Amino acid sequence: MPSLISPAERDYILKGIDCNIRADGRQRPDYREVILETGVISQTSGSARIRLAGGTDVLVSVKADIGPVLVDPETGEGADKGQIICNVECAPSASQQFEGRGADELNNELTQMMTRFLSHNTTSLSTSSTSSTPASNSNGAGGINLIPKTEVQDLGDGNFDFEVLDDAEDTEVVEGREDMPICVTLNKIGARHIVDASPLEELCTEAKLVVAVNRSGELCGLQKGQDGGIEPSLLLEMIQFGKTLGQTLIKQLDAKIKAEADADMIKRQNGQPVVKLGFFAQ
Amino acid sequence: MRGHGTYIENEKVVSSVAGVVDRVNKLISVRPLHTRYTGEIGDVVVGRITEVAQKRWKVDVSARQDAILMLSSINLPGGVQRRKQESDELQMRSFFMEGDLVVAEVQAFFGDGAYSLHTRSLKYGKLRNGSFISVPPALVQRCKSHFHSLACGVDVILGLNGYIWVSAHVPQNLDEIDTELVYSNKNKEDITPRDRESIARVGNCIRALADEFIFINDTIISFAYEASLQYKLKDMNKKEIMHAIATEATTAVDNMKG
Repeated sequence: MPSLISPAERDYILKGIDCNIRADGRQRPDYREVILETGVISQTSGSARIRLAGGTDVLVSVKADIGPVLVDPETGEGADKGQIICNVECAPSASQQFEGRGADELNNELTQMMTRFLSHNTTSLSTSSTSSTPASNSNGAGGINLIPKTEVQDLGDGNFDFEVLDDAEDTEVVEGREDMPICVTLNKIGARHIVDASPLEELCTEAKLVVAVNRSGELCGLQKGQDGGIEPSLLLEMIQFGKTLGQTLIKQLDAKIKAEADADMIKRQNGQPVVKLGFFAQ
Repeated sequence: MRGHGTYIENEKVVSSVAGVVDRVNKLISVRPLHTRYTGEIGDVVVGRITEVAQKRWKVDVSARQDAILMLSSINLPGGVQRRKQESDELQMRSFFMEGDLVVAEVQAFFGDGAYSLHTRSLKYGKLRNGSFISVPPALVQRCKSHFHSLACGVDVILGLNGYIWVSAHVPQNLDEIDTELVYSNKNKEDITPRDRESIARVGNCIRALADEFIFINDTIISFAYEASLQYKLKDMNKKEIMHAIATEATTAVDNMKG
């Protein structure tokens, strides 16, 4: 990943974006091919690998655990809500800049952002968690989440005992998964904005806007990054664009995830093994 | 005989890396695909200035250490021939700044193995009017020329270090070059959207070839360009289309060789 760019390259990229031809032939609203596979880690409640045309590789996993709930002592609210703890890490092997403590800043930024976007939009989630993560370049995607059914037993003396059924088949999809937001990052370069910036385009970026939208097109979060400013009129345009793109992406992702789940189901019913490509596949 | 990148198993020489087989008489070695650039004197390389130091620039050429471009091995603007003075040393950033892309030639090695570069020819110098692509260094082979003008109006510089510069065509007449503008940062004004499309298309062709680990030279780039014309520019980032273009280009080259 380069960390420097020459004035001539910057000028070329800027003017290219102005006439809607980017360095790799894409137009401003085009993003690269997304490759998605779910269920790559068997020990988790849900996992996915998302890859953006060889540029960015993301491995997401969700682990549902039983823990205390935070109940408001006055109102008694929150008894039916769990909490989400997010952690984003960039592999030091991905770039020289990430070596040592180099990735700390980016890790913190992404972790904070994920936590904020997810924990404030999950009021409907029943004691569990779900995930969606922004790739370092652009779009996020949610893993498929199945939590084991749990039986809770009241022991009568104020204590509870619970039993987690360890049958892999006996799981259910988390309630409220469909309300999860998806993050779309828009980069403002010159007077225009683009999605899925390449490393060199990232170096020309004046300001970045992360737009989180859910299925119904509601804005769930907004974060501006980097030093530059955004004009109010452009901001509205970017939000609108992020919303439209986010909704389309959610639709496409849902269709793909469902198709994959159905294919796996048919294989299982026929007694064939379900083979996953896994994280190390090229 | 067993060379680098090989080992012997059951009395047979086996490759220990994925790469290109090199044979010198009985010595068999394998050059890995994913490796740092190892240069030779006279190589044309494309590099990026990373640091301005005492009388020298450090240049990233994707080698094990940064190459060095000495102030004494560049041409002064206007083509004046004289010893470099302190005043030149003070305005080094007006020649090359951090981040600038340069094309240069490997002139010598330093004691610690770092490359010393030079740009003492009008062919070499600062790069403008185009975009930068990086491929594995093993895919660019040494040939007569590394500066190519393709029929589609695009210039390509194939750096032996795997850095490639694709730019809009600038008519080259070495006698008439405005030597004052050698260090300018300004792109030419008349790059048309059509030029940009061709540059992007050639860039995508090179990426497609590199993705399939095919040797990159001007012939195969031209064939890949021809093959790519049937696809839309923005579809060229798709894996199957990249594969189709690379396959078609290799078949065309094979047919030409007969």
